[in-house]
Amino acid sequence: MIDGFLALLTAFLVLSGAGFALAAAIGLNRLPDLYTRMHAASKAGTVGSGLLLLAVGVHAGDLPTFARALAGFFFFVLTAPISAHLLAMAAHRVGYPLHAESVRDEMKDYDKRI
Amino acid sequence: MTAQMVLSFSIWLALVVLCVSFLMTVWRVIKGPTLPDRVVALDMLTGIVIGFIALIAIRTGFTLYIDIAISLGLVGFLATVAFARFVLSRGGREGPPGETAKAEMIKALAAPVPETRRSPRKKPATGTGPAVRRKAKK
Amino acid sequence: MITYILSLVFAVVWVAVTGSATLHNLIFGFALSTLALWIVRGEMNARGYWRRFGRILSLLALFFKELALSAWKVAVLVVSPRMDLKPGIFAFPLTVTRDFEITLLANLITLTPGTLSVDVSADRRTLFVHAIDCSDVEATKRDIAEGFERKIIEAFR
Repeated sequence: MIDGFLALLTAFLVLSGAGFALAAAIGLNRLPDLYTRMHAASKAGTVGSGLLLLAVGVHAGDLPTFARALAGFFFFVLTAPISAHLLAMAAHRVGYPLHAESVRDEMKDYDKRI
Repeated sequence: MTAQMVLSFSIWLALVVLCVSFLMTVWRVIKGPTLPDRVVALDMLTGIVIGFIALIAIRTGFTLYIDIAISLGLVGFLATVAFARFVLSRGGREGPPGETAKAEMIKALAAPVPETRRSPRKKPATGTGPAVRRKAKK
Repeated sequence: MITYILSLVFAVVWVAVTGSATLHNLIFGFALSTLALWIVRGEMNARGYWRRFGRILSLLALFFKELALSAWKVAVLVVSPRMDLKPGIFAFPLTVTRDFEITLLANLITLTPGTLSVDVSADRRTLFVHAIDCSDVEATKRDIAEGFERKIIEAFR
């Protein structure tokens, strides 16, 4: 009974993780510029791989494995925004432009003021 | 037993879905007009490969794969940080892809030739002059 | 006293993570956690440590809720047939001052729906945030200031 429940939970986690990864990939191709693509990769992509890792922990069903999977999940969730932020900062400082439809860029004015 | 069947079917489905998203991300790496676009896509590729490793861990039952996934995540994170530093230090030199790289390569190959020829002080190194020039011609 | 209890808890976590519940491993984990706590001993002496614990937990709960919501929103936006985007970068005036708090806030902003922190100004007063929907910047700023920033101040001050 509990095994069946764990298997169904694992299946749900696996499918939702893969779905988020697919959404991130679609977003990477459909979104118009670098900064909006970063939204897709850093949120949906991270949640996707994190859910798949959690699924491993749930499927194994013992505490050490689950603790390791949880540690990995935390690691991914905490490092993904840092790398996205670093890349966005580097790209903006170097001067890669925002998409033409962007409504405002207050950072540009700030850079000029320095 | 039916729950196990649901699980194995959903793992197959997830593998297919991950394959599709992997290929789409590779397409962005190939197409991506600027370097940061490619770096974002490569970071995403690391995430998808971590997902593959997790699925294989479930299918085979080797939980050691979790450690491999964590190590891969660490390497991917460090690679992205290094790429960000590289983008920052390289500056905004970006033209149509290929053109800039070609121009830079030609410049880099052409630059040392007049230097070695015009410096008369480097007499012990006369042997390197023609060799460098020959390389530059290729 | 609290330090000893904490290092015992860490030792148990160590045994759980390494996956071998032997006495040697427990002693090794205890030594390791004592060393780790000795390194951060300056931070540990701050008053109200345990009262703060609950607030940190509530911050964590909020963070996971927002993370799930943001991934869902990005997924929905991406698969909708007509993407209606108004992207842009706005300046967010910071109330928190310490580097650690700014880092935490920037990370939380990145994982919330539609926002991604890009840069912090040199004087640590302004955070530049890229938003996927810039139609109502004031509301977004208010959400961040009254949600995450207030919780961070409650948890770490």
